[in-house]
Amino acid sequence: MLEWIGLLPAFPLAGFLALVLTRGNLPRRIAGVIGVGSIGLSFLLAILISIEFLGSGLESHTQLLWTWMSVGSFTPGFSFYLDGLTVVMLLIISGIGFLIHLYSTGFMADDPGFARFFSYMNLFVASMLVLVLADNLVLLYLGWEGVGLCSYLLIGFWYDNPANGYAARKAFVVTRVGDTSMAIGLFLLFQQLGTLNIQEIMTLAPQQWSEGSGVVVAASALLLGGAVGKSAQLPLQTWLPDAMAGPTPISALIHAATMVTAGVYLIARTHVLFELAPSVQLLVAFVGLATLLMAGFTALTQRDIKRILAYSTVSQIGYMFLALGVGAWSAAIFHLMTHAFFKALLFLASGTVILSLHHEHDIFRMGGMRKKLPVAFWSFVIGSAALTALPFTSGFYSKDAILLAALEQPQYGTLLWLGGVLGAFLTAIYSFRLVFVAFFGEDHTQDAPAHHSHDHAHDDHHHGPVREITGFVMAAPLVILAVLSLVGGFIHVPVDSVFGVHEEHHASTLVHGFMIAVPIVGVLISYLLYSGAPQGRGLQQWLKSVRESAGGGALMRFFFSGWGMDKLYDFLFVRPFIALAQLNRRDLVDQFYGLLVELARIGNRAIVLTQTGYLRWYAISLIGGLVLVIGIGVWA
Amino acid sequence: MTGEQLLLLLPLIIVTATAVITMLGVAIKRNHAVSCLLTATGLFLALLSLIIVAQYPAQEVTPLLLVDSFNEFFTALILLAALAITLFSYPYLCNLEDHQDEFYLLIAIATLGALVMVGSTHFITAFLGMETLSVCLYGMVAYPLHRESTAQYPMEASIKYLVLSAVSSGFVLFGVALLYAQTGTLHFSDISVGITQGIANGPGAEYFIVASLLVITGFAFKLSLVPFHLWTPDVYEGAPLPATAFLATIGKIAMAALLMRFMSISGVLDSAAITHVLAVMAVLSIIGGNLLALLQSNLKRLLSYSSIAHMGYLVIALITIDSAMGGANESLGSEAVSFYLTAYVIMSLGAFGVMMVVSDSGHERDHIGHYQGLFWRDPWLALVFTAMLLSLAGIPLTIGFIGKFYVFAAGVQGAEWGLLAAMVIGSGIGLFYYLRIVYRMITPLDHDDPLPVAGIRDVIPHGILLLLLAALIIPGVVPGALMTLLQSVVQAL
Repeated sequence: MLEWIGLLPAFPLAGFLALVLTRGNLPRRIAGVIGVGSIGLSFLLAILISIEFLGSGLESHTQLLWTWMSVGSFTPGFSFYLDGLTVVMLLIISGIGFLIHLYSTGFMADDPGFARFFSYMNLFVASMLVLVLADNLVLLYLGWEGVGLCSYLLIGFWYDNPANGYAARKAFVVTRVGDTSMAIGLFLLFQQLGTLNIQEIMTLAPQQWSEGSGVVVAASALLLGGAVGKSAQLPLQTWLPDAMAGPTPISALIHAATMVTAGVYLIARTHVLFELAPSVQLLVAFVGLATLLMAGFTALTQRDIKRILAYSTVSQIGYMFLALGVGAWSAAIFHLMTHAFFKALLFLASGTVILSLHHEHDIFRMGGMRKKLPVAFWSFVIGSAALTALPFTSGFYSKDAILLAALEQPQYGTLLWLGGVLGAFLTAIYSFRLVFVAFFGEDHTQDAPAHHSHDHAHDDHHHGPVREITGFVMAAPLVILAVLSLVGGFIHVPVDSVFGVHEEHHASTLVHGFMIAVPIVGVLISYLLYSGAPQGRGLQQWLKSVRESAGGGALMRFFFSGWGMDKLYDFLFVRPFIALAQLNRRDLVDQFYGLLVELARIGNRAIVLTQTGYLRWYAISLIGGLVLVIGIGVWA
Repeated sequence: MTGEQLLLLLPLIIVTATAVITMLGVAIKRNHAVSCLLTATGLFLALLSLIIVAQYPAQEVTPLLLVDSFNEFFTALILLAALAITLFSYPYLCNLEDHQDEFYLLIAIATLGALVMVGSTHFITAFLGMETLSVCLYGMVAYPLHRESTAQYPMEASIKYLVLSAVSSGFVLFGVALLYAQTGTLHFSDISVGITQGIANGPGAEYFIVASLLVITGFAFKLSLVPFHLWTPDVYEGAPLPATAFLATIGKIAMAALLMRFMSISGVLDSAAITHVLAVMAVLSIIGGNLLALLQSNLKRLLSYSSIAHMGYLVIALITIDSAMGGANESLGSEAVSFYLTAYVIMSLGAFGVMMVVSDSGHERDHIGHYQGLFWRDPWLALVFTAMLLSLAGIPLTIGFIGKFYVFAAGVQGAEWGLLAAMVIGSGIGLFYYLRIVYRMITPLDHDDPLPVAGIRDVIPHGILLLLLAALIIPGVVPGALMTLLQSVVQAL
């Protein structure tokens, strides 16, 4: 079975080609079958391969797929590499990918770009599988850029609205900053080690570099740059909330469950480098901590259902970075998995809400939906419970592991732990704020629009009676994901052999009790503040007064704008860049190439003169040429 | 001569018989289709006979011909190209207001000449082959002579080719005579011994340099290397398309294979002077050919200039045959030459094939304007043409890229940095004029199609184009098999 590993990305790639080459001329049924079926086949194969691999007891398996050519000692080839970490990623990508594809056939059923949507989705899954299967960093980079391209195409999927195009461009440009950093990192590694094969790097690095040496710090910092770009961490997190302009299943698959966790995967994959550079590893932890807190505060103030979830994604990936930073590799991957379950669930449920409410995004214009949208409601309750890490949900176990690992960090353990717990507190408030505001209280759907905050809404915006849109294809993924969100915490992630350690964390009952209590308190506060419960009057009054006071209002606006990062970047980078571009309107560098073109033109004009068409001249040139040749031969 | 040796000459014998039978067929009753079919069948049988020939180990059949895997590979390549050109010729010649049959006769005999060239290790056979090929080409170039509207160009082209080719043959003969006068042999492998002795106690090194250069100059003329290239565009342009294709493919393969054999056996590359001269010719050809093609709007002329540049690339690899000796990979240079030749034949045959499909003997569509908007009128032809042009430009995933890469690798191993720099510059310029054609094919016509390309609908030419496309892409993606084959082929040298 293991030798079939090359088929994993081949199925979705074939699906992509079939859908692209028919240029949307296929009937929707068939397009849907191709789009979903290709991922389904990959998922089945991934299951079979995982079972065989895990059953075989092998530590890893390398499969050479294709050697392009072999000229002299130059033999570029493709190989896939399989180990416990890859298995986890494979199952997440193909499994959750399959559920989201299935859901999409319902969600996108009336969209004119149905086949186009599935072609991009298939290409995305193929690229993502290449990314996690790659045995060398160049192939990984190919997948990395492939998912970036698909992300761009899908954020701007509804391209007739210029705002969506802008969001897509922003995502592309911002992640490009990280990608450039990563590319430089790859160059550095290749220049220093002479190989880009990941396993060779992992063996060579500790032999060639001492801990904390300059090169390894630079290399791992550059890779971290790529990771923060893709995973939307500080300081490159600004693109993710805007990426919500794409169709909701995209947000679930790409901008929550899989692509944005690629940065986490990259760091885990190259963890040896980070262990050799403790300063950078600590930086990873603090980047994660800062991001999770910042995004948590921002999520508290958002009104757009998808933006709340987007900031929560940024914040949860912050937890994964925190885990990576304290060396809790398997805890990070564990949280990656559980987060994929519950965040996909939340996004898909929000998709049902949005679709049922005719593309309404503002949670304050929902209200009382728990009766009208029961499936979405229960999905949200379960997803939020897992996100909040309430006991016995999947998120509880993974977040618990991360926080305990953070506590064990020798220098800054307490600080990291406290920050993480504060983040968990914020998570509880903002997740249940969403649940209480949207699903409890009074129905606000018929209210006059207060303001157009949802500029990412789809164009055909009209109001009608609220009716939950949920067929089998849309309900089944929600149910499966809900079950996984609840019990996913009992899945054991088989990555111990990858990281060479078995992580066990112990803490006192007090610490444990505190960590269980904090989210529950958060939920209670949220209940008092947002459910309209009479017991919370005083608290609600207080919140209102804070919001209306000058300082409080300013702080709220500051949080709402994502801590003003967009404005800051606009001021720091965008404007100077535009000014510089205007200054260099007649591109200086271009002048040089213009010169080359002119030279070629002159050369052409001169040499064409020799083509006279006269036989006598041709004959003379033969003789002249011979004289020249003999002259060179004898005297040179 | 034993029976086994006769068996080894089977391809030559079958091609000769094809010419005779076709001639007899014409004498009995003229029929265009039958003549074409007879020739094609003969060439195909010759190709099949190679299967038998390949069973035997390499051996000399008389001192004149060497039948080894090198010979067999290039024989196969030539026969395949000749077969394709024969089949392309049929629809092209259909509306010729003259007898068509003799054209196939000329194809068969010219092919015979080319086969002799790739098998020769002796100046007699080399010269015989060259002249057989050339004499037939004069006829093929001038073939549509009796057509009033176009008569003047084929005639002019043929005369130019005849006169200049004769001069170059004179050079070769003079050089051979000089070599023979001192060494007393015409066999390539004995010449190197003779030269070593002659330098020690004879007329000295200059004598042999001059003699070898005379021979090489003659060869360089056939390969149209600068400064012996001036005839190329005029002849390519004036000749009917099948003749141009023949000249551009088989004419080049046979000559390049002969030159390669001559160089590696006679050891003239050991002389720094010869290498210098070849290097100068390579650089001049690469830069000159690409510059000449830059703004050319006649596609036949453009492809002729581009062929000058391509032969320049080929010479780079040829030079490294010697300098690679003793390196890690001794045969890299010869492998590169063989691979490049194979690639070059496929892509120029494809490019000329598309032109032949849209042309006939009355209307040659060789102007870039004829192809404007082809993508919208006939996407299939445009796709094939684009693939061929991209391959000529050396874009990855085509055989042209691998070929260029191979040459580059050989150059790097031989540390020929100056030549590689010329190659990079030339390829950069080349990209412009190849892509210009592609660009024109995408540009829609802005007025009512005055020059519609009426591509013929016969299944055979399109089938050949499909095969050529496959031969272009498959080795570009998985070149391993072809490389292994060529490695065993050049072991014979």
